[in-house]
Amino acid sequence: MAFSRKSKKNSQQPIEGNETGSSNVEVAGLSQGQIIRKRFFQHKPAIAGLIFMICFTIFVYTASGIHLGTDGNQFTIKGWWKYSHEDLLPQGSCADGCPSVDHPMGQLPNGRDYFSLVTRGSEISLMIMIVIGGLSAFIGTVTGAVAGFFGGIIDSVMMRFTDFILTVPFILIGAVIGYNLGNFGVFPLAIFLGLFIWPGLARLVRGEFLSLREREFVDAARVAGASNRRIIFKHILPNSVGVIIVSTTLLLSSSILLESGLSYLGFGVQAPDVSLGALISAYQGEFIYAPWLFWWPGVIIIAIALSINFVGDGLRDAFDPRQRRRISRKERAVETGTRAQVNKS
Amino acid sequence: MLAFIGRRISLALLILFGSTYLTYQLAAYSGDPLAGLRESTDPKKEVIIAELTRTLQLDVPPPARYFLWLQKALGLATGAPDFGNTVILRLPVIDQIAAAIPITLRLVTTATILSVVIGISFGVLSAIRQYSRLDNSLTLLSFFLFSLPIFWIAVMLKEFMAIRFNDFLVNPTIDISANILISAVLAIIISGFVSGTRKRVLITWIVTFGLFVTLLFLASATAWFRYPTMGIFGIAILGVLCSLGFTNIFSGFGNKKAIGAGLASVVLGLIAYYPFQAIAGPGTNYPLMLALAVLMLSSSYFIGYFFTKVDKGPVIRISMLSAFMVALFTITDKLMQTWEEYFKLSDGRPIQTQGSYNITIVTNDFWVNNLDLVTHLFLPTTALALGFAGYLRYSRASMLEVLNMDYIRTARAKGMPEREVVLRHAVRNAMLPLTTLLTFEVAGLIGGAIITEGIFGWRGMGSLSNEAIQSQDLNLLMATFAISAFLTVMATLVADLLYSVLDPRIRIRK
Repeated sequence: MAFSRKSKKNSQQPIEGNETGSSNVEVAGLSQGQIIRKRFFQHKPAIAGLIFMICFTIFVYTASGIHLGTDGNQFTIKGWWKYSHEDLLPQGSCADGCPSVDHPMGQLPNGRDYFSLVTRGSEISLMIMIVIGGLSAFIGTVTGAVAGFFGGIIDSVMMRFTDFILTVPFILIGAVIGYNLGNFGVFPLAIFLGLFIWPGLARLVRGEFLSLREREFVDAARVAGASNRRIIFKHILPNSVGVIIVSTTLLLSSSILLESGLSYLGFGVQAPDVSLGALISAYQGEFIYAPWLFWWPGVIIIAIALSINFVGDGLRDAFDPRQRRRISRKERAVETGTRAQVNKS
Repeated sequence: MLAFIGRRISLALLILFGSTYLTYQLAAYSGDPLAGLRESTDPKKEVIIAELTRTLQLDVPPPARYFLWLQKALGLATGAPDFGNTVILRLPVIDQIAAAIPITLRLVTTATILSVVIGISFGVLSAIRQYSRLDNSLTLLSFFLFSLPIFWIAVMLKEFMAIRFNDFLVNPTIDISANILISAVLAIIISGFVSGTRKRVLITWIVTFGLFVTLLFLASATAWFRYPTMGIFGIAILGVLCSLGFTNIFSGFGNKKAIGAGLASVVLGLIAYYPFQAIAGPGTNYPLMLALAVLMLSSSYFIGYFFTKVDKGPVIRISMLSAFMVALFTITDKLMQTWEEYFKLSDGRPIQTQGSYNITIVTNDFWVNNLDLVTHLFLPTTALALGFAGYLRYSRASMLEVLNMDYIRTARAKGMPEREVVLRHAVRNAMLPLTTLLTFEVAGLIGGAIITEGIFGWRGMGSLSNEAIQSQDLNLLMATFAISAFLTVMATLVADLLYSVLDPRIRIRK
């Protein structure tokens, strides 16, 4: 990492005392990773978001237990919450199913416990979010890295392929999966969405690779006889990991919104399964008579997306305190453009 | 350059071919268009199924059927492009799309303009005052808006800004406790954007609180929400405030010529107020309004042009923007005068939650029709305009990047006023990458906002494609999709070209 741009910057212009430590001597003793960690842990909203996400994930997964597989061979661990989301229970103390001690988020008109539905829905939404985010981060990074590093014909072929993927409407993917693979649960949906949402990240990573491969340390490595593989994995990738991590967190927050949007339209998570978007879609008509059925899933989606956004912001500040990312501005424009499209529909 | 464009266009056609093929296959395997029919108890259903199978060529497997569709769509067989008919109603697809595009454009254009203007101006402000309270509040706000599912906020908008507001109009008085509560909350929000010492924030809070309490009290006492008016005095006050605001932004109060030009434009607008009332009766039309707008803007251009001899740019900008705002207020005033009539026509429920126009109102009155449009646009535009958060974050990042450049330091070092540094050197360069974003946005506009159109019952392109997927109507789906895919692919090309034209540092690799 001797040639990494962060340490270069640090040696040229010492970072202010309040950001990384009290004196330059101390800064010199820190590795890049330590500096980033330190900056990240000083970003209070990001830490709050991270703690919330961890606690919330543990909370929902333990509450409703873990359910894997489909009807035939199901693998289930029971959670600590007394009801399951499929139980039809007698109405509690409140006739219209309002929240009570026994049912903290109220009950549906048919007696189901809403708390267990919401936790189960959050579980599925989180799972979809992580699958989409992980898959598209992987595909986007590989595509962008290969296109940016090798350039030339490989670059243009891969970038046109990216354009091609950009034109496929998400709603159609949801419809196809719902019709053909609906009874295989939500995994196929998550995987297929992940296969189509990576172009923004790929463009960003390509831009990063394009500019990094022209740098002196890459030339030095090549002169020293390093193979392409070694240059990519040991020299360029560690330097672009900031961009990748930051945009992956943003991708996570947009994929939970994408999932809820698709479920809202009826093309996302299908009937026996629930997700936060599907819950909002199902009970938006109850807004006047049983508002808690509408409020809870929405508040949880906002809380998840908001805390992920804060973590992303903290990571960005940690990796790049001056917002001086050395990617071409064009690439970022394109990335933001696709993100805006995802958010809009 | 030409070779580059030619190559890219041929590649774009290839991409279009590939993506329409993939979409056709996906759509064909996403359901059975005859499913509804198969379950029906119609005695003639076998005949209908056979008929539909023949006309839709369902007996041909999708991978081959695509080429039949393509042949027709390109007009190879008949010489004219033919996108076929819809499955259920047997209407020509092309007519459906021709009807949907204007509706979609009407919905998304206003929202996009609003979100771009708000997003960019606050983004620039946020970047100039990085890490101030203003910046932090805007960051928090934009993250919150990012995280908001649009269908969730739409339901709330319908409930609180339409249904409850219409109920409130029956007796539009605000009791004093509600007044104080609303004012206190609004004042907290506004003082949250003010930077500086605690004392300054507190003073801001007190001033805004007092202002809101007075305004709401007056509005309640005069039943303003039921009988809204602005009048020439309201226009004058708001116009002067806007003009001074623009002067403060673009040239500063040191420039007396700029203040004069701005105020002169406002006065011009006010002089035009009474003639406008006479000209713009109920029978007026769009060409006349457009002509008046052009007249207003060009005369304000000349005001700016002749008011000063040096550095005309900012002065012209100030006078034109002032004139634009006064014209906007005059039109708002005119719509407010129509409010009473519209209120009666809409049975006392003016803010609408569904549809793009009120079918029960049949009138030739230009202003009633436009007010009808405004009341229908209000909710979906508000929901869509919340997308300004994206532009805000983006222009903030771009602006911060530019502000760190060496040439900004040079400009400051040579003694340039900070306003000039920001407006001339920083903002212009920071806005360059936004052209790419906007190209994509404009291409996406035609595709429509599927969720928003669905919730608010607008029959635009978004609803159309949603409907097409729901009913497995391949002809309709492919036509809507082909249009949006074409625009997306073209947008990538236009974005690349535009960027290289605007920014000479970017060279197109031959």
